[in-house]
Amino acid sequence: MQRAGRLVLGQDFLGVLVATVALVLLIGANYPRFLQPDQLASILNNAAYIGILACGLAFLLAMRELDLSVGSVYALTALACAMLVQEGLDPWLAALLAIVVGGVLGLVNALLIQYVGLPSIVATLATLAMYRGLTLALSEGTQVVGPPIDSSFSQVISADVLGIPVPGLTLIVVAAVLTVVLRATPFGYRVRSIGSNPEAAAFSGIPVGRVRTQAFVLTGALGGLAGVLTIGYLGAADPNTGTGYELQAIAAAVIGGTSLAGGRATIVGAALGAVLLGVVASGLAYFSVPINWNQFALGAVILGAVSLDSFVRRRRRRARAAAGPRL
Amino acid sequence: MLEAQGIRKSYGGITALAGVDFAVRTGTVHALLGENGAGKSTLVKVLVGALAPDAGALRLDGRELRAHTTAEAVDRGIAVVSQELNLFPDLDVLANLFPMREPRRAGLVARRAMAGRARPVLDELGLDLDLDQPVEQLPLDQRQLLEIARALCTDPRVLVLDEPTSALHAEAVDRLHEVVRRLSRRDVGIVYVSHHLEDVLAVCDTVTVLRDGEVAVSAVPAATLTVDRIVAHMLGDKVAAVMAARSNEVATTVEPGTPALRFEQVTVGTELQEVDLAIPAGRVLGVAGVDGAGHRTLLSVAAGVLRPDAGRVVLPDGAPLGRGLRAAIQQGVAVVSGDRKRFGVMLDKPIWDNIGQVSAVGLRRDGMVVRAGRLRERARAHVGSLGIKTPSVDQEVGMLSGGNQQKVVFAKWFESSPAVLLLDDPTRGIDVGAKAEIYNLLQEQSRRGVVQVVASSDPRELAAICDEVAVFYDGRVCARLSGERLDAHTILEVMNTGRAPEHAVGVAGEHPGGAPR
Repeated sequence: MQRAGRLVLGQDFLGVLVATVALVLLIGANYPRFLQPDQLASILNNAAYIGILACGLAFLLAMRELDLSVGSVYALTALACAMLVQEGLDPWLAALLAIVVGGVLGLVNALLIQYVGLPSIVATLATLAMYRGLTLALSEGTQVVGPPIDSSFSQVISADVLGIPVPGLTLIVVAAVLTVVLRATPFGYRVRSIGSNPEAAAFSGIPVGRVRTQAFVLTGALGGLAGVLTIGYLGAADPNTGTGYELQAIAAAVIGGTSLAGGRATIVGAALGAVLLGVVASGLAYFSVPINWNQFALGAVILGAVSLDSFVRRRRRRARAAAGPRL
Repeated sequence: MLEAQGIRKSYGGITALAGVDFAVRTGTVHALLGENGAGKSTLVKVLVGALAPDAGALRLDGRELRAHTTAEAVDRGIAVVSQELNLFPDLDVLANLFPMREPRRAGLVARRAMAGRARPVLDELGLDLDLDQPVEQLPLDQRQLLEIARALCTDPRVLVLDEPTSALHAEAVDRLHEVVRRLSRRDVGIVYVSHHLEDVLAVCDTVTVLRDGEVAVSAVPAATLTVDRIVAHMLGDKVAAVMAARSNEVATTVEPGTPALRFEQVTVGTELQEVDLAIPAGRVLGVAGVDGAGHRTLLSVAAGVLRPDAGRVVLPDGAPLGRGLRAAIQQGVAVVSGDRKRFGVMLDKPIWDNIGQVSAVGLRRDGMVVRAGRLRERARAHVGSLGIKTPSVDQEVGMLSGGNQQKVVFAKWFESSPAVLLLDDPTRGIDVGAKAEIYNLLQEQSRRGVVQVVASSDPRELAAICDEVAVFYDGRVCARLSGERLDAHTILEVMNTGRAPEHAVGVAGEHPGGAPR
C-alpha cells in the first residue's frame, strides 16, 4: 500500500490528475448534474481527439522536437478516409489507409527535418499550412460525407462500452499502450535519451535520425487515428476541423507534465491534460461564462498549470543544488 | 609596468593559482609557460580583467588596479589576443577591427577613418584583406592574424598573446614574431603564452613557468634555457605516485595474422597523412601531439565519426570499420571522452538508465522489452566492481562527483563488452584518487584483450598507462616511443619539435616527420 502510494506520488502526471479531479469536484459541488456518468463520458469523448494527438506530441517533446502540423494531419486524414469511402472502399479499409496516410504525412515532416536540415518547428509550421491547404483544396471547402451511419464502422465507433464511447476508450487504450512503449521498449528509452543529451545518445550507438523519423511517423499515424475516429463518430469531414488543435495538444502534453526541455514525458499526463482542457471548457459553460471568454480562460489554465510545474521544478532543482555533488 | 602579486584563484575546490607573482616590463617579451591546467589561462584572464582573483593585487605603473574589468583594461592599454577566436563571424573585417570603439562622425560610424587606421596595421602583419569581406569567409590563419590586428589597433601598452600561433603556418609565425619584436622596441610589454617552445625561445626575452598553479621558474632570461630544460621545469620532478607505471614492453612488430586494430595508410585532408599503425589485442597505444597535430583526428577516424579520404581501419576481428559512429559502436568500438557532460552521461537520469544506454538501448541487446529491474540489477554489479560511490543506482548522475560520473561512462561501455576502447583525455578534471582507480580499470581491460587508444593532455598520464606512444606532428607519426624511451619529458619534447630524440627509434625513415620550423 505504501509502495503503491509512493508510486502514484512519484509520477509526473500527479499534478494534472489532482487538478482535474479537483476541478470536476468543484463544478460538481455547484452543479451536481455535471457528475452524471454520461456528462463525464461526453467530456472524455470530446477530449479524445486532442488527447490522442497529445500522446504523440509527448514523444516528440521528450526528444526536444515539435510537430505543429498535427491538427492539419487530423483534418487531412479524416478527409482522406471520407473520400476513400466515397470511392466505394470498405470503411474499415479506408480507415486503415487513412491512418497510413497520417504516418506518411509524419514521414514527410521527418524527411524535411532530416534531409533539408530544418528545425522541426519550422518544417512543421510549413506543413501545418500545406496539409490544411491540401484539405481545403481537395474538399473544395465543403464537408465530405463519410461512411453511412448504418455501416458497421460507424456503428462500432459510435457505440458505448461500459458507458464509455469508443473514441474515449480509444484514448485510454492508446495512452496505456504508448506508456508501455515509452517506459519499456528500446524505442522509448532512446527517445528519452536523445531528449536528455542528444550527443551522448549518438555516442551510445543510438541512431538519432532514425528514432526521430519513427517518432514523427508515430505522431502522424496518431493524427490519422484521431481523424478516422472523428469520421466514424460525426459521419462527415469538415475541412476546417481541428484548426488550432496543435496548440491545444502541446498544451495538454505540457500540462500533463512533459518537459519542453526534453528527456522525460508522461503519456498518461498528456491524455489527462487534454481531459483537463475539456473539463475547463464545459465547466465554463456550466458557470455560464460567455463563450467569447473561453479562449481566454483556456489560456489562463495553461499558464497556471505550466507556471506551477516550473515552480515545482525550480524548487526541486534548488533542493538538488543545496545537496550539492556528493562522493 | 604591469605587475601581479600573490594572485590566488580557485574554482570550486580546485586551486588554479596558488599565490602567483608575475610582471611584464616595458619593451620585453615575457613567455608564460606551463602544462595544460598549470594555471596559464587563469593568470591571463586575471591580467586582462576577465576574472577577479580571490586574493592578490594588480599594479599598472605602480598604481593598484581595483575592481579590474576588461573595459578598464582596454582603457589602460592592456590588449589581449585570446586562444579562442573572439571575432564576429557575420561582420566584415573592418567592423571586427573596432568593436565598441568605432571612430564616429556626426554619430555615424566613420568607415573611412577606420580604414585609414586599419590599413597600416594590416600591412604590418602582411594581411592583404578586403575590408568589406565577412570574417566567416576567411581561413583560420587569417582570422587569427585579424584578431592580432584588432589588438594592435588599440595601440596597446601591454599586449597579451595567448597561443597566437596555433592556427598559423610557419611564414605567418615568422611575420608575427617580427611584429612582436618591433612592438617590444616601441616599449610595448608583451606576454607570450604558447605551447610551441621553439617559438618561445625564438622571440621571448624572459620565461616564467607555472606548474600546478605555482611559479616553477620566475622570469629567467630565455638565453639561459633550452627546450629540454623548459620541459623539465614544466613537468617538475614529482611523478604522481598513483601512476604505478606499467611494465612498458618494448614495441614489437605486429604479425599480419594477429588480431589488432590496424590503421592502413589513413589520410584525412591535411590532418592525417598516410598513417600506418597496428595495435594488437590487449595493448595500449597513446597518441600525442600539439593541437591539430592529428592525434585526435586519428581517434575520430577510429570512432567512425570521420571518414578517411584514403586508407582504411581494420578492427581486431578482421572486419573493416563501418561507416558512422553507430556502425563502429555496433562493431565493438567504445568511445570515452573527457567531455563527459557532453558526450558521456545524461545528467538528469539515474545511474542505471545511463549504464543501460549502450547495450540495452543503443544496441537493443535485451530484445524488444527493456526491463528497468534488470538494468538496475546489472548497474548494481557495475557500481560494485567499479567502485562508484553512490547511495543507490537510482541516484541522478548529475549528483555524482566528476570521477564517479566518468566511471558511469566506463560502466556503460563495459556493459557492451567492447573490443576497442578509444579514450580522449579520459581523466580530465578528475581527482588523483579516482584517476588511479580508472587506470586500474583500464589495465583490467588490457588483460581481457581489449585494444586501447588513448589521447591525453597530460603526457605523464600517457607515459604511465601506455605500452607505446605515437607522437604526431603535422598529420604524421613522427616518433613511436616505448620501453625506456617512453617518458613524459620525451613525449612533450617530441610533440613540440616534431623530431624524434636521437636516442629514440623514430620512424623518420618510413614517414618523415614534419620539417622543423
